Amino acid sequence: MLVPGLAPHDAVSNDTLGMTRALRAQGHEVVVFAPHARGVDEPIRAPAEIESWLQSPADAIVYHYCVGWDFALALFGRTRARRVLRYHNITPPEFFAEWSDGYVAACAEGRGQLDAYAALNCELYLGCSPYNLDDFLARGVDPRRCALLPPFHEVEQLRSLAPSAGRLPRGEPLLLMVGRLAPNKAHVDLIDALAALRAMGADAAHLLSAGKLDPNLSRYGEALEQHLHRRDVEDAVTLMQDANGAELRAAYERADALVMLSRHEGFCVPLIEAMALGTPVIARASSAIPWTLGEAGLLFDEADPHTIAAAVLRVQRDAALREHLRAAGRARYASTFAPAVLERDLATALTQVAAR
Amino acid sequence: MNPDRQDDYLERVKAEIRLEAEAARERAPLPRRDPPPRAAKAAVADGIERERLDYAIGELTGPHYIAFVDHVFRAILKRPPDDAGATLQLRLLAAGAPKAEVIGNLRWSPEGRRVGTRVRGLLPRYALAKLARVPVLGYALQWSLAFAGLPLLLRHQRAADTSTAAGFTAVADAQRDNVRRFDEAQAAHQALSAEHDRRSDELRGEIRRLQLRVDDLEQRAARLEDRAHALELRSDSLEGRAGAVAHELVDLRHYVHAANHWVASLQRSLAELEDVAANERERADAFAAALPENPSSAAVRRDRHAEWSAALAQHLPPSARVLDLGSGDGAWLAALAARGLDASGVEANAHLLERAPQARIAQGDPAATLVRCADADLDAISLGVDAFVGAESARIDALHHARRALKPDGWLALRCEREPYRLGEGGDLDAARWSAWLVAAGFRAPEILRDGDAALVLARRTADESARA
Repeated sequence: MLVPGLAPHDAVSNDTLGMTRALRAQGHEVVVFAPHARGVDEPIRAPAEIESWLQSPADAIVYHYCVGWDFALALFGRTRARRVLRYHNITPPEFFAEWSDGYVAACAEGRGQLDAYAALNCELYLGCSPYNLDDFLARGVDPRRCALLPPFHEVEQLRSLAPSAGRLPRGEPLLLMVGRLAPNKAHVDLIDALAALRAMGADAAHLLSAGKLDPNLSRYGEALEQHLHRRDVEDAVTLMQDANGAELRAAYERADALVMLSRHEGFCVPLIEAMALGTPVIARASSAIPWTLGEAGLLFDEADPHTIAAAVLRVQRDAALREHLRAAGRARYASTFAPAVLERDLATALTQVAAR
Repeated sequence: MNPDRQDDYLERVKAEIRLEAEAARERAPLPRRDPPPRAAKAAVADGIERERLDYAIGELTGPHYIAFVDHVFRAILKRPPDDAGATLQLRLLAAGAPKAEVIGNLRWSPEGRRVGTRVRGLLPRYALAKLARVPVLGYALQWSLAFAGLPLLLRHQRAADTSTAAGFTAVADAQRDNVRRFDEAQAAHQALSAEHDRRSDELRGEIRRLQLRVDDLEQRAARLEDRAHALELRSDSLEGRAGAVAHELVDLRHYVHAANHWVASLQRSLAELEDVAANERERADAFAAALPENPSSAAVRRDRHAEWSAALAQHLPPSARVLDLGSGDGAWLAALAARGLDASGVEANAHLLERAPQARIAQGDPAATLVRCADADLDAISLGVDAFVGAESARIDALHHARRALKPDGWLALRCEREPYRLGEGGDLDAARWSAWLVAAGFRAPEILRDGDAALVLARRTADESARA
C-alpha cells in the first residue's frame, strides 16, 4: 500500500487504512509505505524500502493517487509487481487560479501525470467513482482494466460516537456543510443560498461549515469573509475549523440538511456520512456527486441561491419528504457503501488483478 | 414505492421547489450591501478599491501619463495594468488622444463590462472622442468644435501662459531652493566626511591596538605551547619512571614470594625438628619408665610431694577440685589425693601412664585439655612444666588459659622436678622469667618451694582485672 501521506480524518488515509485492514482480513500480507505519517495506528515504512519488500511479480502495489508524485510514477514504470492504481481524483488547478499559485502548480502537476499512468497499462485502475474512472477511460484505458470501488471510510466509527452539541449553533433551519474551505467547495454559493433563505423570511437560518482553511488559501478565506459581509449574513454563519468527531456527529443530527454545492468532488465522503446518519442531502449535481448521492437526495444542476433556499425550506417543512430522503439515504449507504459491501467489492476487484 | 415512482416523486418535488424559488426570486431578491469599510481598508494595500464601482470622471483625469493609466486601470478594471494594455493606452495618449477615450476604452472593454464600474460624465466625452476618429466627418467635427471653442481656447491659452510663467517662477524658486539645499547637503556631507575620517582614524588606532593585543596573545599562546610541550616531556619521563617502578615492584613481588617459600620451608624444618625432639623425649620417657626407680630417690620424691601437697592444700578448701596436667607416673597426683583434694590428671606419655596406679589419670594432650576447661571452674591447676616445653608463646598461652579456668583466688602450681627441666638462674626454666610471665598473666607474685634442683611455684590468681591489665 503506497500513499503520499497519512493523517487522521483524511479521506485518502481512511481509504488506505481501511483497505489495508480488509486485505489482511482476506489473508493478504499488507505493509503501508508512506514518506510521512502522523496520528495513525499503523506501522509505516519508507517508500524507498518498497522494492526490497516486494519479492515476486505476483505481489501487488496499490498506489493511492491523489497528488503528483514522481517517485510513484517512476516505480510504476519499472516494477515487475502487479500495479493497482487507486485513483481519488485531483482538483483541477483552475479552481485555485485566483487564490494560490502553489495549489495551481501542485494540482496541475498531479493531473499532468494522468496521461503517464494511463499509458502504463496498469493491471487495475481502481476508481472511487465512475467520475474518476472517466479520467482514464477518456485516455484510452481498457475498460476491462477498470473497476469501481467506493472509498473505505470511518462512518461506522462516527456513528458509534456519542454526539457533543455544546459548541454547535442553532438554526431554523440549520444548513450543514462538511469539507475544507477551498474554492472548489463553493462556499460562496452556500452563503448566497443562506442570504436568499433569510430574504425569503427564514430570519433564523444558520449555516454551519465544518472544515479547515489551509493557511496557503488565506486570501480565499478573506474573500469569504468579505462575501459574508456583503451578504449581511456574518451573524448567521459558523465556521468550525476544529470540530471533532463527536461534534460532527451532533451536527449531522441537528442539521436540517447537508447542503453540498461543491463544484468538484472525486467521491464526497460527507454525502455518505449524511446518508448513514439520516441527514437529508441537498446538492449540486457536479462531478462525482450525482453517482455518490444517487436518488438519496435533492440534486440540482444549478446552485441558484433561491432554488437551494427553497429546497432547504421544503425539506424543513415537509416531513414526508424528509423521511423519504432519510430512508433512501440509509438504503443507499447499506447497499453500496457499508464496510461489508466495500470488502466484498475489493475482493472482487482483486480477482481481476489475480487474473493478470 | 418503486424506483420509477421514487424518481417521479423527487422530480415533482424539485419542480415545485424551482417554482417556489422563482417566486421567491421576484419577491425577495438577494440583499446586497455597499462595499464594506474593511474592504476599503484592504484596498489601501495595492491601491485598488475593489468594492467601489462608482466614480465621477474628474476623479480619474487628475493624474498624467503613466500615473493616469495606472490609476484608471485600478479604478475601472480593479487590477494593476498589464504591460501590453498600459503600453497601448500610453501610445494613445502620446498620439494626442483625450483621457476620456482611454477611460472609455477600458470601461467598455469586455473586462470592463464584466467589472461594471460606473463613471459619471464619461459617455458623452467618450462618444465625442470616438466621433473625432471618423474620417472627414471627424476632422470637420474637430474643426467645428475648435472654431466654436476658439475664444475659450484663447482664454485657456492666456491662462496657460500665465500658468506657465507662474510655473517657471515656481521652478526658478524651486531651483534656488534646491541650490541652497544642495549647498547645505554638501556642507553636511563634508561634515560627515570629516566625522567619517575622524572615526576611521579612531577605528584604525583601535585596530592597531587590537593587532598588538593579538600579537601579545599569540606570543602567550606560543609560550603556553612550549610549557605544554615541556610538561608533555616530563609526563613522558614520569611515565618511564613509573614503568621502571612497576618492574621493580614485580621483582619485589618475586622476592617476597621467594621469602615466603623460604619461611614456609623453615617452618616445616622446625616442625620436623620439634617432632624429632618430641620423639626423643618420648623415647627418653619410655626408657625412664622402663628403669626401676631407685628406692632412695622414690623416698625423696615421696617426702617432697608430701611437703608440696601440704603447702598447696593449705590454700584450698576441703575437697577442692584440682586438675594436674602432665601427671607423669601419678605420684604427685596421689599425694594431692592423699590431702583430701578432688584431684584428676592428664598425661600424654603412655609409658608413664602404665606406671601410674591411679585410675584418675587420663591420656591426652595437657595443653589441649587446658584450652577446653570451663571458665572459673577449678580451685587449683597443677602444671608439670616439662609438659609445656617449646616456644615461650605456648607457655604464656598456657598461663592465660590457666587463669581463665581457675576460680577467683584459685591457685596455680608449677612443678619442676624432672631432668632436664630444672628451675635455675639463666637456665631454660628461669625463676625470674616465670615470675614475670605469671604476673603478666594475672597471678600474684609467686611463692617458690625448692628442693634441690626441684621446685614448686605457687601463684594465686588475682580477682582484679585491672591489676592484671
